[in-house]
Amino acid sequence: MLSEAFLRSLRNLRLNPLRRRSGSLTGERRSVRRGRSVEFADYRNYTPGDDPRRVDWNIYARLERPYIKLFEDEEDLTTHILLDSSPSMQWQDEDEDTPYKWRRAAELAVALGYIALASGDKLVVETNGSAGVQHFGPRRGGAAMAELIKFVEGLMNTSSTRIPANVPAMGKPAMPLNDWFKRYALKAKPGLCIIISDLLDEGGYEEGLTALGSSRLDLHVLHTLCPAELDPQLIGDLKLKDIETNRTQDLSLDDAVMAQYRQRLSEWTAAITNFARRRGGRYHLTDTSLPMEQILLKDLRRETWLV
Amino acid sequence: MNFLNPLALLAALLAVPIILLYLLRLQRREQPVSSTLLWRQVIMDREANTLWQKLRRNLLLLLQLFTLLFLVFALIRPYVNVQSQLSGKLIVLLDTSASMLATDVAPSRFEAARAEALKLIDQLGNNDQMTLIAVDDAPRILSTTTNDASQLRASLNDVAPTLTTANWSAAISLAAGLGGEGTTTIVISDGANAEDMQLLQGAARYIPIGSSGDNIAISTLSLRRTVRGLSAFVRVSNNGAQDDSVLVSLKADGNLIDARTLAVPAGQSATWTINAMDPAITTLQASIDQAKHNTLSADDQAYAVNVNNTMRRALLLTRGNRFLEQAMSALPNLRTTRAVALPPASEQTYDLYVLDNMTVTLPANANALIIGTQSVFSTSGTFSNTAYVRTETHPIVQDLDWRTINVLDIQRVNAPATLRPVILTQGGPALLAGEGVPMRNLTQLRRAVVLPFELRRSDLPLQIAFPILMANVVDYLAPPQGLNVPTQVRPGEIVALPEGAVVQPPGQSPVAVDARGFANTNIAGIYGFRLNTSAASEAMNGGAFAVNFLNPIESAIAPNPQLQVGNATTNATVQTQLTQREFWNVMAVLALLLLIAEWWVYQRGVPARLASLGQTAQPAPSTPASTK
Repeated sequence: MLSEAFLRSLRNLRLNPLRRRSGSLTGERRSVRRGRSVEFADYRNYTPGDDPRRVDWNIYARLERPYIKLFEDEEDLTTHILLDSSPSMQWQDEDEDTPYKWRRAAELAVALGYIALASGDKLVVETNGSAGVQHFGPRRGGAAMAELIKFVEGLMNTSSTRIPANVPAMGKPAMPLNDWFKRYALKAKPGLCIIISDLLDEGGYEEGLTALGSSRLDLHVLHTLCPAELDPQLIGDLKLKDIETNRTQDLSLDDAVMAQYRQRLSEWTAAITNFARRRGGRYHLTDTSLPMEQILLKDLRRETWLV
Repeated sequence: MNFLNPLALLAALLAVPIILLYLLRLQRREQPVSSTLLWRQVIMDREANTLWQKLRRNLLLLLQLFTLLFLVFALIRPYVNVQSQLSGKLIVLLDTSASMLATDVAPSRFEAARAEALKLIDQLGNNDQMTLIAVDDAPRILSTTTNDASQLRASLNDVAPTLTTANWSAAISLAAGLGGEGTTTIVISDGANAEDMQLLQGAARYIPIGSSGDNIAISTLSLRRTVRGLSAFVRVSNNGAQDDSVLVSLKADGNLIDARTLAVPAGQSATWTINAMDPAITTLQASIDQAKHNTLSADDQAYAVNVNNTMRRALLLTRGNRFLEQAMSALPNLRTTRAVALPPASEQTYDLYVLDNMTVTLPANANALIIGTQSVFSTSGTFSNTAYVRTETHPIVQDLDWRTINVLDIQRVNAPATLRPVILTQGGPALLAGEGVPMRNLTQLRRAVVLPFELRRSDLPLQIAFPILMANVVDYLAPPQGLNVPTQVRPGEIVALPEGAVVQPPGQSPVAVDARGFANTNIAGIYGFRLNTSAASEAMNGGAFAVNFLNPIESAIAPNPQLQVGNATTNATVQTQLTQREFWNVMAVLALLLLIAEWWVYQRGVPARLASLGQTAQPAPSTPASTK
């Protein structure tokens, strides 16, 4: 799946959450809770019930007033990766040679999971394909890496051989994005949530993202679109067929329509960006034909997803 | 509006298959996509302004239906009844005579006439026919009876006026031959010199051209040898209604020798005589250089050729005749040798032989004046009833008055057919002349003049007619230049030059003459020529002739606004009639334009693709509610 060398190059990277979250185990992340680490954070007035061990006696001697010395608490982080494996993710334009969308999305999930595991975070991976919702984790530690790879490869074996474009229909995903996200938000522990999806769903994505965002999850929307979606090379009188819904759409394509499509696409991605930002999240649109190195080591680092 | 072919309306049924084809038109290629989500949004954007979209959606269909509509409209041949001045079968007599060159109407009378003819062609209805006849001295059909306006226009563009006089009687005969029931003859002319129009049959109309008759013309230029040298005579005529003073210049062999301003009163002429000119000059040109009231330039030049400077040799065979010798010695350019017998054949030949009561055998192809008793032609007695009866037209009797001449008796000549009587008396011919005349010995004389009485038995030698007759006879038998080529020729006239002669027209390359003679005398000027013969003298071997407009009839260019044509005096009265005017061609052009527009729209593709943007979504399978 991914080469050893490539995985090694990821080892020094960390996922960079937007906010500090409180975890349950002491990890390698700074927590919002003031705790017991050695890194000084602040002082505050003593209030009855505070642990007298944490009173800074030197200050008390100088000022004759008790102050509590606060330290940074270092915690772990739960990283959630929601990998959309709906039929639209697994679709591949027949004359494309580049790694198709689903494969790239799965690789991204593995790579990001690896980074999370390597930095000692807790990792949860969930997919929502036509075969139903599949779950991995929560696991932590480098040892879970092999299981993660096995899990993702299992996904690819069951549902995702390369799908030629002329298949009649892929059927619908187990559950619309909104439902999946909302359901996941109910049980999710706070942390960093990476959504790898094309967000192409009849029902939209807004409710689901809102639910995730309000469950104290840092929204990281990694929007994966393939070249056939970013810049379709279609022309002439066509009957477009939605492989998820079987819906057809008669369309006569010319330059004007194509321009309108591109404009529509940029408006759509801009809307998602806005939506994610307003919920304190990040958004990155990635072209699935780009190499992994480009996406992870350049694009995502530049946007400070990874540090 | 009516229709000639209403049955073609059935073609409108073709609209049904067009609409059907349109409805069944598109079999779209199915293209799976990951999601039609964004595409549907695109369509929603596009359908935002729906009314316009709906209109454009069917633009191609509309264009096709309108194309069909116009084609059907063209097929049923609609027509309207329009008021037309003329209809039916038209014969247009277009005056192309010299007076049409006048410029009193800009750019010229002929162009104005051509414009009138074009107007008639434009008015031609679908069932009308027109014949164009150009009328000059030899009227000819420009375009046979046709309805084809483009052919008529083309033939009209090819015609140009000539320097000749219109021969209206020939044109009317031509028109009468072409005409028939319901024929209207239209005369487009300035009406100058057209008086024979009463003979036109059927309906006739006259379209007058021209506004002014102002014209100054050189009406005479003559050159003659006098004792004081060469003298020229110029007459300038004012055909207009206003007095004018005219600058006339005279050029000899291309060099200006004199110029003079002549006052020419309206309707009159002025003359100018130039004396004592160098006898050696060969050509003379007179031209009007300045005149205030001159609209026709064709008659502003005149040319003359001086041919009297070459010698002719004559052999006078006589036993002594003082009158004859005196008369011949007085003739210019004639060297007379007197003899009593014919010299041996090997010796030099003569341009002319004069037999005075001699019986000799003349050489073949000789020119001979035979007087009195002779042996060339057989005779049968004499007659004495010599009272004058009449004179035939012939060059030898020009300016000759025979009425005062008395002859005692005249020999009755058994003349061959080619020897024609010129002067007839009650008893028989008193003078005969002819060409190619066979003699008794069966050889031919080229030209012969026979005076079948002895001069001393008449008072002819005592009359003033005698030197005139002798001069005429000598000029006829031995012309001043070869083979009786005239020195003055009218434009268009055929000059009877023998085959092989070479003519040098003014300003053009030399032309060899064929058996029909030289006919290309359309330009005024001096034409030199050279004969291809070994004639006896230099004078017989070449020369020149002048083609002169010099036409008092065509110089009088006063237009005639009213003309008797047919059996009624007509002018530009307008008789309107109803004629059918079809306009299927307009419809066909519109259909073609629509077809081009339809093709363009299709090529551009925008509306074509919009046209099919209509969503024909199949009902999507109902979404199972996911509750997981």
